Amino acid sequence: MSNSGDRRVKREALRISRRQFLVGTGALVAAAACSTAPGGQPQGGTTPGGTTPGGTVKLTAWTIGPDAPSFYRKDNLVSAVATLNKELEKENPKTTVELDATFESGGQWGDYLQKFQLAAEAKQAPDIVLAGHENFAPWVGPGYVIALDDLLKKHESKFKDVIPTLWDAMKLKGKTYAIPQDTEARPMYYRKDLLPKLGWSKEKIDGLADAVQKGEFAMPDLLATAKEAVDKGVVEAGKGWYPRPTKGHDHYMFYYMHGGEMQDKASGKLVIVPAALEKYYGIYSNAVQTNVTSKTHIGSDFKIWHQTVTAGKVLFYNAGTWTWKEWSSVYKIPETELFEKVGYTLIPAAQKGGKPTTLSHPLAYMVTANSKAPELAFRLLAHATTPELNSRHSVESAHLAILKTQQDDATYKKDKFLLATGYMSDFSTFIPNHPKYGAYDEVLFRFLSGVATGQLTPKAATDQAVAELKNQLRDELITK
Amino acid sequence: MAARAPVVPARRENIAAAWWRTNATALLFMGPAAVLVVLFFFVPVVITLGLSVTDAATSTGLSNWKWIGLDNYDQIFRGSFTMLIIRNTLFYVVVTLAFNVLVGLGVALLSTHVEAKAGGFFRAVWLLPRISPSAVYAIMWVWAAAGPPFGIMNDVLSPVGVTPRDWLNTDPWVIVILVNGFVGASLGMLVFTSAINSIPEDLFRAARVDGASAWQIVRRITLPLIRWPVLFVLVYQTMSLMASYEYILLTTNGGPGLYTTEVWSLWAFHTALSNYYGNLEFGLGAAMAAGLVVIGLVVSFTMLRLFRFDELVGDPRVEIT
Repeated sequence: MSNSGDRRVKREALRISRRQFLVGTGALVAAAACSTAPGGQPQGGTTPGGTTPGGTVKLTAWTIGPDAPSFYRKDNLVSAVATLNKELEKENPKTTVELDATFESGGQWGDYLQKFQLAAEAKQAPDIVLAGHENFAPWVGPGYVIALDDLLKKHESKFKDVIPTLWDAMKLKGKTYAIPQDTEARPMYYRKDLLPKLGWSKEKIDGLADAVQKGEFAMPDLLATAKEAVDKGVVEAGKGWYPRPTKGHDHYMFYYMHGGEMQDKASGKLVIVPAALEKYYGIYSNAVQTNVTSKTHIGSDFKIWHQTVTAGKVLFYNAGTWTWKEWSSVYKIPETELFEKVGYTLIPAAQKGGKPTTLSHPLAYMVTANSKAPELAFRLLAHATTPELNSRHSVESAHLAILKTQQDDATYKKDKFLLATGYMSDFSTFIPNHPKYGAYDEVLFRFLSGVATGQLTPKAATDQAVAELKNQLRDELITK
Repeated sequence: MAARAPVVPARRENIAAAWWRTNATALLFMGPAAVLVVLFFFVPVVITLGLSVTDAATSTGLSNWKWIGLDNYDQIFRGSFTMLIIRNTLFYVVVTLAFNVLVGLGVALLSTHVEAKAGGFFRAVWLLPRISPSAVYAIMWVWAAAGPPFGIMNDVLSPVGVTPRDWLNTDPWVIVILVNGFVGASLGMLVFTSAINSIPEDLFRAARVDGASAWQIVRRITLPLIRWPVLFVLVYQTMSLMASYEYILLTTNGGPGLYTTEVWSLWAFHTALSNYYGNLEFGLGAAMAAGLVVIGLVVSFTMLRLFRFDELVGDPRVEIT
């Protein structure tokens, strides 16, 4: 047979009818659709809260991180498994708990929260999730997390030690959805080695925290001191006061100090006080106009922020208590040097004679609706909420006590910084638990950025922010 | 009459069968592409439009949402930021587009007028931004533009008298346009290079014999003959820029200050998919995205009309055999 004849025979052999093509394509599509990847199972092949034939309950927990030096948020849960299992052994020797606790999302909050929501919708949420206290507010509506009131009542004795005010931040419309994991204060730090260059005596420097607490040294005094430091060249222009450079809760301390309110206790609605908002914006505006803070400060890089303050180039700066440990562990400033050169105080009152303030943002453990063993998950949290475990987290990461007896804990008592800042908890304020808080914060922060860059006056920013809040929140907003 | 009644369906059947015989192959070949277009172009638009009239958000989950009519659109139209973000979007699209096309054209002209190997190398270098992973490319820019004492830009520019600065905060639009522009210019460069290389060499030779200068050759021969590729890049890049936000997200994130570099698509992303406190507003974000779809359609049709797209895809006036 010729070559062309061969090719024709081969072509004939390959030719398929239209019907064959359709049937073949259909079969291929059906096969592809039926070949499911094992995506229905969570990582590790365990169902949250599911039991194995041996009576082992497998729990899963997510904590944000790794977030050095706050690794005990995860490790304390792991440690609590042993004591929970001892307790369970007395009740039923066949039942034990295993925990798969993981750090998630590399410490990025937005990614972490989104990941949890997607997991919750896909019924793949872990049994326990750690988040900011305000984060459960939007999770309650779709039922991602469960109310813990009944379990708290049943295991009341295990949580009696929790500092009572922290429970306020764990509630939404009267129900409790979370267990406090840690808390902190957000002090005003200052350089003790720069103030003498302005003629401050050692006694005056050492007495600054006390003067702030008594309302004798107020925010206008701080800004005037910072301006003096800039004018005299003690610090460079823009480095008199470093507020937080990015979005975050810290900014609202300057709203609260002027009588600002964020949530109506009776109705749970969000609140805006325009007069306080204007004064809050006014502080940033004043700081920028007097070169105390740079107009490019808000929006600048947080890493550079840390490098600049740890280099001793800024007179006053705001950060959380936990950053004290970050400065030593991440930025390698020995703690002895920090004590020698850096002081910390409450945020001064708006005016002399007023009350100073700070803000706390407790992180909290929640039990998800996806858990098949919510009571065991809850009991694990109870075992993680002990003076020993919480103190080691506090000391390692400079977070304040969440338990009353931590003040007597040997580990906690050894930490000079925690003891020195513990009183700040009495001045703490919180951000609100409300599903629309994200939108509220977005509006206020964007206008704050507008003021800080000189695009808007405090008055214009306030008027526009209030109008926009009304537009977005409608009857969920109370204007006072 | 009764005997003739079955004839009509039979004839219809025959017509249908004949139609199927004639068109089945074409339909089978077009089918996969048509399914993809429907699945990935029309269905998302329909879902976006549907979602835009709901209050779907994290706080409602995917099961407790309600129909709320045009409330989301009302909120957008009444919003304090809406006009500002529209202005930003226009500025971003127009300036970046101009950069993309002009720089792409310039690089194509220069690299086709030098020795072939050198031109190829030059173009390969210009392709680097496009072939680099977006996140890596954007982060390199963030580091390069960091404030003093950091930042390569400060190191390079301060010896020539430019005051060191935190570029992302002081000149955010410059960075946003350069970051996007270098990526976009590389596409234009490729398309224009290919178009220039397809111009018959005889035309250039004839022009040189006639004593035309380099500029006259570019002005009178090259540019008129690459008109369609230029128009294609203009339309394509306009659409692409209107929907793009990833480099802005990774560099300025819409800031600094009050939405200084926030564009419409980034606004929709921030609303629907990124909230610091975790309450994502899918419904409101979808309404923003729906607005973008409508604007995109209007701009597309206007540009296609303006640039006479029907002539571009029409039969050639001269048939070359």
